[in-house]
Amino acid sequence: MNLSAMRFQPPAISGGIIIIVGGYGSGKSEVSINLARYLVTSQSETTGPVSIVDLDIVNPYFRSREAAKELEKLGITSVNPSGGQFYADLPIILPEIKGTIERREGTVVLDVGGDDAGSRVLGSLANAFEGAEYELLFVLNANRPFTATAEGCLKMMSEIETASRLKFTGIISNTHLLEETNEETILDGLRLSHRVSDETSLPVRFLSALENILDEIDPKLIDVPVLPLNRLLLKPWE
Amino acid sequence: MARVLMKGNEAIAEAALKAGAEGYFCYPITPQSEVAEYLAKRMDEVGGLFLQGESELAVANMLFGAASTGKRVFTTSSSPGISLMQEAISYMAGAQLPCVIVNIMRGGPGLGGILPAQSDYFQSVKGGGHGDYRLLVLAPSTIQESVDLMMLAFHLADKYRNPVMMIGDGMIGQMMEPVEFPDHYEEPELPEKSWVATGAVGRKPHVIKSLFLDPYMLEKNSWELHEKYDQMKKEEVRYELYKVSAKNKIMIVSYGTTARICQTAIDQLEKEGISVGMFRPITLFPFPEPQIHKEAIKKNINDVLVVEMSTAQMMEDVEKAVLGKKPVNFFGRTGGVVPAPEEVKEQIMMLIEKQKKTKAKKKA
Repeated sequence: MNLSAMRFQPPAISGGIIIIVGGYGSGKSEVSINLARYLVTSQSETTGPVSIVDLDIVNPYFRSREAAKELEKLGITSVNPSGGQFYADLPIILPEIKGTIERREGTVVLDVGGDDAGSRVLGSLANAFEGAEYELLFVLNANRPFTATAEGCLKMMSEIETASRLKFTGIISNTHLLEETNEETILDGLRLSHRVSDETSLPVRFLSALENILDEIDPKLIDVPVLPLNRLLLKPWE
Repeated sequence: MARVLMKGNEAIAEAALKAGAEGYFCYPITPQSEVAEYLAKRMDEVGGLFLQGESELAVANMLFGAASTGKRVFTTSSSPGISLMQEAISYMAGAQLPCVIVNIMRGGPGLGGILPAQSDYFQSVKGGGHGDYRLLVLAPSTIQESVDLMMLAFHLADKYRNPVMMIGDGMIGQMMEPVEFPDHYEEPELPEKSWVATGAVGRKPHVIKSLFLDPYMLEKNSWELHEKYDQMKKEEVRYELYKVSAKNKIMIVSYGTTARICQTAIDQLEKEGISVGMFRPITLFPFPEPQIHKEAIKKNINDVLVVEMSTAQMMEDVEKAVLGKKPVNFFGRTGGVVPAPEEVKEQIMMLIEKQKKTKAKKKA
């Protein structure tokens, strides 16, 4: 176990259906990948088998499917289109996806595309979700143009709820500026997450941030559980 | 303004607004659709015009009409869409109209794929449409540079009354980086637009056209255009040197995000005691020909290595710049395959081996 994971309270997520949504570029894919890794390595007693579903039908690059091989090494099942369609940004919804949701076995992390446009795909799976216990988590990055204020976040959350036909159960504070992230970035973001939490009465389920930055932060400053991140979706020169 | 995290496509859109763009015409295509998506929300807020046309042909001709009013207008698309726009681009160049066109390149030819490529180099710098014309072509390698060059593009378009094209591979459109925008885009003063077609009330009509049936008039127009391109060659060449020193034995020439892959390779090689420099063209037309020549003929340089995401397009311009004075080698991946820094390193190690052998032969 890494240093950050020991210093901070771990996220209290035991399994089931976990749907990760949010604005474009808020960091949903990286959070989904790391959450799946966390669940399979630290919470395996409660989660059962873990699968990750790349439901991003709006982004062409930097999708969680790019980490499929890494995840499969850890025993995480990755549900993605195969062949040339792996690379497409077409609205391909594999029959396996519906099956995975309906089976209610183990834990399923759904990595959904950005904004209401990306969340609309969930609406088409509404039947599969019927009667299911799920977590719908909003990934919040305060440094993104449309979610820089509480008003912006509330607007986007309402649009996503309408498009997905699901209700939010919590917020993930994932504010960062990539390599320029520092303690202040993370704490500013957490403050905004708390404001949105106050407005919506939804809990901040956890904060996620890169491990090397977390290592330098006083754990007392973060009053929510923490998911340390290791980036897997890198640029070609990184 | 504070630093924000933006996708290249969004940053390009916002930069256009900062530069005073008032009209945007578009048709969606991966990997640049976020420009339109962003502006669908933002254009209204700044009181500008957002218009999705029925095709790229329509969009390019809307641009032609809107540019005639003298307002700052632009479009963005990706490779196949840009091909469809070529006719109107040629018309705009012929009619001496300023406008900005962004191509977030994907793999081709034909419908190709949706992953990053740089294989529209010829189309951009050699005139994708018909006739004696050129585009001023800018090629950013970071999101911040995309912002800076996008704003500059509007200025240069007005300065030369010529379409300016900014090209980025798909990675430029899709990746995210922290960026900063100025509160106001500061630019040198431009002459008043005395040619605009805004309604001939109380004055003689201004006619904007690319049709000259009299061959002498058409020839005159073409030479006028040619003079502008010569002026661009004198005034607008932009490039960047990376770790260029007298210790280099190899000089890489690379642009866009491929240059960043090369940078990583150069940094890694430096740690291993191997010194390599890079020449990164920022303007692809005007191409930094004399500048590349000057760097390439330096005594310490044994080889030039061109790295691009195409099957050797910029390569031809580098060869033209080096004029046979040094061997020009090529490494490229294409079709959406992005080269890894390790592959670039491998190419450099092969060149070093070759250089050693040549040296040994000379001694023998």
